[in-house]
Amino acid sequence: MERLEKREWSETEKIALCLITAVALGLLPHFMPNNYWLRIYTMTGLFVMLALGLNVVAGFAGLLDLSYVAFFGIGGYTYAFLSSDHFNIHLPFLFVLPLAALITMGFGFALGCTSLRLKGDYLAIVTLAFAQIFKLLLLNLDRPINITGGVNGIYNLDPINFFGLRIESPMVYSYIIWFFAVIVVLGSLRIKRSRLGRGWEAIREDELAAEAMGVNTTKMKLLAFAGGAFIAGGAGTLFASFQESVFPNNFDFPQLVIIYCMVILGGLGNIVGVVLGAIVLSILPEFLREYGAYRMMSYGLILIVLMALRPQGIMGEIGFLTKGKKRPNKEETGVLKASTDLYYTETDKMELQIRPRFRRGDRPVLEVRNVTMNFGGLRALDDLSLIVHEREILSMIGPNGAGKTTVFNLVSGIYPPTTGKVFFEGIDITGLKPHQVVKAGIARTFQNLRLFSNMTVLDNAKVSQFCQTHSGPISILFHLPRYREEEIETDTITREKLGLFGARLTGYRFDQKATSLSYANRRRLEIARAMSTNAKLLMLDEPSAGMNPQETIEITEFIKKLRDVYGYTILVIEHKLNVVKTISDRVIALDYGRKLAEGNYDEVANHPQVIEAYLGRKKN
Amino acid sequence: MEVYLQQLPQQLVNGLTLGGVYALIAIGYTMVYGILSMLNFAHGEVYMIGGFIGWWVLYLLSRGNVPILHASLVISLMIIVTMVLTGFLGMIIERLAYRPLRKAPRMNLLLSALGVSIFLQNLVLNYQGAKARSFYVSSLIPESLRVIEAGGVVFSFMRILVIVVAFGLMALLTILIKKTKVGKAMRATAQDTEAATFMGIDVDRIIVLVFLIGSALGGAAGTLVGLLFTQVDYYVGFQAGLKGFTAAVLGGIGNIFGAMIGGILLGLFESLATTFFPATYKDVVAFVILIVVLIFRPWGLMGEKIPEKV
Repeated sequence: MERLEKREWSETEKIALCLITAVALGLLPHFMPNNYWLRIYTMTGLFVMLALGLNVVAGFAGLLDLSYVAFFGIGGYTYAFLSSDHFNIHLPFLFVLPLAALITMGFGFALGCTSLRLKGDYLAIVTLAFAQIFKLLLLNLDRPINITGGVNGIYNLDPINFFGLRIESPMVYSYIIWFFAVIVVLGSLRIKRSRLGRGWEAIREDELAAEAMGVNTTKMKLLAFAGGAFIAGGAGTLFASFQESVFPNNFDFPQLVIIYCMVILGGLGNIVGVVLGAIVLSILPEFLREYGAYRMMSYGLILIVLMALRPQGIMGEIGFLTKGKKRPNKEETGVLKASTDLYYTETDKMELQIRPRFRRGDRPVLEVRNVTMNFGGLRALDDLSLIVHEREILSMIGPNGAGKTTVFNLVSGIYPPTTGKVFFEGIDITGLKPHQVVKAGIARTFQNLRLFSNMTVLDNAKVSQFCQTHSGPISILFHLPRYREEEIETDTITREKLGLFGARLTGYRFDQKATSLSYANRRRLEIARAMSTNAKLLMLDEPSAGMNPQETIEITEFIKKLRDVYGYTILVIEHKLNVVKTISDRVIALDYGRKLAEGNYDEVANHPQVIEAYLGRKKN
Repeated sequence: MEVYLQQLPQQLVNGLTLGGVYALIAIGYTMVYGILSMLNFAHGEVYMIGGFIGWWVLYLLSRGNVPILHASLVISLMIIVTMVLTGFLGMIIERLAYRPLRKAPRMNLLLSALGVSIFLQNLVLNYQGAKARSFYVSSLIPESLRVIEAGGVVFSFMRILVIVVAFGLMALLTILIKKTKVGKAMRATAQDTEAATFMGIDVDRIIVLVFLIGSALGGAAGTLVGLLFTQVDYYVGFQAGLKGFTAAVLGGIGNIFGAMIGGILLGLFESLATTFFPATYKDVVAFVILIVVLIFRPWGLMGEKIPEKV
């Protein structure tokens, strides 16, 4: 039987799960047959931590960081420097652990700063080069002064020392390391469900769209690097104190590959999966020890085969755990209905008749002043000026390549104008980054749809609240009241905006992925997503493109409603002239980056130059 | 300073040799990147396997470290057999690991390439061992030819060979790309894969060809380095791959002539750097160049900046 409800854990189930885990973790070390297996058990805890740390960078934010293992090493060597005979410094473990994690975080931040502009392959190769430099330094910094110990590493590190209580029993070590592993698991779960998790996911899906919906991508990427490094640094310290020594080989490329395999086997971003991946890949090789030589080879094969057959990992989208709600094909009365029939209910039509609540103002909201934009030798906009008044719908028309979308890109901050200024409510917003423009109150949609395809409808809209919320990692990890309030507010606002589109984006659709929506619904979701940023000015890039006549009439009514009922100011690019005629207060016609005509629809549509631009000149 | 100046001509010759090798590796990266926009992580391993194939050909054609055929024939066979086999290997890699992912996100492709790299490296480790193999080249060349001195600069025979073969192969590739019908198809595919398909070009065939040529050149580089430095082990591919990639990026990735120039420049930089830094930090110099170029001029010295389409 198919389940219609999305599986949610109830409170009792949660408590039961916690108890079972706690008991299992408490008992397991006692069932290990010997110290060798106890060591593997402890190392598994470490790998869970490491894999989840990498999951923050590579899984959440989608940054292919190949220097991750170097952060593990920095954590380990920091402990070796600060708690051993090597420099004769013996700081207590409880002090070094957070210190090492913070130092490593600093390195992660620095790496992030240098490689922010890089994407995909380039980021991978630069981080790989950094990892190689790190390894070369570890190997060679034993001369002229011995800093890293070279190939021989540093040994005889202090064991963990709690206020004079020296811990040397492997059993206690296993408890300590698993304790931290559990903390990392819980922390990851909380982060993933928060605004930070959604922000990262949006960046992974479409970085430019994330920025244009108000996510500070620079900050978020740095945060991912720093967060991953923080966990790796802490794990490195735990590892160093556990092994009581550090060698360059502990932090080399094969180690990185193993951690990557764990994360990918579990599914990038999938926390439960990553934990399972870490456990499986820590324990499985021990059963195949006689084939030890083939171990690394099999890791290579795992990567190839998983990428070809199951890139979402073992845990991605299986069974009842992740199945979303299905589209109901019956009404509550039990009468079968086509999906379109469910849409066009009487209430929908009633709503469109609501009397205007807002009137047009004369105050200029957006002012584009003498803007010129050059792309190399091409002049896309030539000394263009335009003003959008409060609660007015201004349409831009013009042939392809006239510079309409360029206006949107300039206003939304995707690139700065060559010359000229842009003002929003009297404030100069020229040169602001897209996320700052969104925060100021301007949101846009994209002509060729840039939704976060693999996120749910609700999460797509929730990303837009990123710039209006502020809780950081601390308040999220500890579920401070401020974070809870913000989450509730985000939820309310996004559900309200999606609700404006009725059944098309609500109900079971909340939990559907954006990819599974119809083309028209994706356009609607783009508008809802832009509205969820709390913007006052909406810039809609061809909102009715690809819609059939019925849908076009509907979206036209909706845009009018946005102005009259909800008080939005709207700048719209549209090719369908009947839409332009119905909605526009004013129309601007562009061609070759210049304004051809401005005025009400009839004035512009009958302007000789506009007709010429569209249809060409008559031969005389 | 005096000493450095005296060393300069010698370092230029060394740099040119090394540069020729890097250029050969870089071409493989850049050709694949030009068409598939993917970074073929496994390319370094192809180079390494090329070195091993060269070693085996030499070994099979020798009795007690003395070649059974004329030296010129042995060296030609080493290079030709290596190129054929590594070219074939490149085709297999493309077919098995990359083609199924043609439409997948870029990150998956990259991870698959990483998997191929690890697989090949450990395959060689398992079947050829971790010990470095030595090329017995001393018996290949008559004593009188081994070292040629001209104006205080030492040209070893092998250096000249490497320079001649590397630049010869590059010249052949240039002719292939500029003058032939296949070359035209390759350039068209690199510009716009979809449009090339519509114009009747079998893009799959071109991609296979690109992998074949790139891998063959990478393999040849492996054998040439084996002859030059007389050693190969399972781990050389990793470093060489990074160097080749650095060269490709330096010249502007996707640009074949850029890769040639980038390779030569990198070789020169490196050998000049050894005059000023301890030899152990030679690789650090290369990686710093890579990082700096990628951060400040990711489109390379020869490439053009392409703004992202919104």
